[in-house]
Amino acid sequence: MTIPANLKYTKDHEWVRIEGDIATFGISDHAQEALGDIVFVELPEIGREVNAGEAYAVVESVKAVSDVYAPLAGEVIEVNEELEGEPEKVNTDAYGTGWIAKIKITSDASVELMSDDEYTTFLEE
Amino acid sequence: MSEQLAKTPLFEQHVEQGGKIVPFAGFEMPVQYTQGALKEYTAVREGGAGIFDITHMGQVRVSGHEALAFLQFVTTNDVSKLVNGQVQYSALLNDAGTFIDDITTYKISDTEYYLCINAANRLKDVQHLQAQAASFDVNIVDESDDTTLLALQGAAAQAALQPLVDSELENIGYYKFAQLQVAGTSGIISRTGYTGEDGFEIYIPNSIAVDVWEKLLANGAIPIGLAARDMLRTEMGYALYGHEISDAVTPVEAKLMWITKLDKGDFIGKAAVETRKNEGPRKRLIAIKLLGRGIPREHYKVFADGAESGEVTSGMHSPMAGGVALAYVKPEHAENGELSIEIRGKAVAAERTTLPFVRSNVRR
Repeated sequence: MTIPANLKYTKDHEWVRIEGDIATFGISDHAQEALGDIVFVELPEIGREVNAGEAYAVVESVKAVSDVYAPLAGEVIEVNEELEGEPEKVNTDAYGTGWIAKIKITSDASVELMSDDEYTTFLEE
Repeated sequence: MSEQLAKTPLFEQHVEQGGKIVPFAGFEMPVQYTQGALKEYTAVREGGAGIFDITHMGQVRVSGHEALAFLQFVTTNDVSKLVNGQVQYSALLNDAGTFIDDITTYKISDTEYYLCINAANRLKDVQHLQAQAASFDVNIVDESDDTTLLALQGAAAQAALQPLVDSELENIGYYKFAQLQVAGTSGIISRTGYTGEDGFEIYIPNSIAVDVWEKLLANGAIPIGLAARDMLRTEMGYALYGHEISDAVTPVEAKLMWITKLDKGDFIGKAAVETRKNEGPRKRLIAIKLLGRGIPREHYKVFADGAESGEVTSGMHSPMAGGVALAYVKPEHAENGELSIEIRGKAVAAERTTLPFVRSNVRR
């Protein structure tokens, strides 16, 4: 299981990459492994305003339907449409081609974010 | 109420293989192994051999001079049609004509039969059979605790199993069985299953469970968990107790009149089934294919011409057929009306289709 150092993590096992006022969201390697084979991803609509902690996407594994929560508040400006045809990218490359959405950060609202070290400790607890 | 979960004799093997263990029908069972459900599913569908520990299922031996008369009275199918070594899909109904369980009946001889029953219904079934047996010269023995049941499914199943047994598996036809030596111990092998692929179900004493499991793995079989098992059975449209069938539906609703023989003489539930058949079903089970994006799941609502008509009983994303579901709808919508399934508040277009959802490869 990998936990890249350049990302922030949430207690719900999402990751966020912040670059200026743009944030990229996805689910952590731990999350994809716990869910098992992802067979469907429901992406948010472009332009949607999401609150920090709001469910903005849905991932479905063979057996389970799981909400994905936004680490930060913002406006959805891009979604990973490749996941519509290849949802398994969330399993095979959770931090890369398995990203889910990008938002333009519109406020400083955020859920509690952890560094890679903090998330590692959180997973061990 | 807390309940102690049981373990099958293969529990350690499941853990060793990376099995993700979940509670299921009172047992700790593997929902999937290290490779994941999709790869397990693919191995069974695409030429491999998958091995399933289904020891949680129950086995009941029925013997005695009135075994046939007893089974004719307690099961729905016509047991008199069975020849020795034949298996029959059947059901136990209550007086209301609704399901106590669905079962398979194995005919060993005119005075000895073997029933395979669902794990979750085992105690209820055995109590029911014992109560009914009071009026017949039969002996009912619940052998579930002593019996390991493995399913070996997929095109390579026969090749993986043949080296373990003392006679030609080729001679066992579909829904036939043989009592033979498995790894040197007496067992029952039937050409049956729950996947739509060729394969076998293997009844052996617990004492040789680990030995047989490991030999089958050595012969190329890979272990399959509950998740892939459910995918495989749903693609075939096979009913599962607690989903398509329950004590709330009769065979008329569940499309199981083909195992309910009203012309064979009296049996428990017959009068109620006849009444329901004459009055017409209250709802009907249909097969649905999703046209839009999404995965139909159990309990999702089904709409016909925009009005709520019923709900999904089993649904999945089929790697071959897309979003597919079994659902109960109002009788008038079994054949007519534009269908949709409500997924997270949105109506997703759907259409009726025929079963199985993907091609069956069982040996007819």
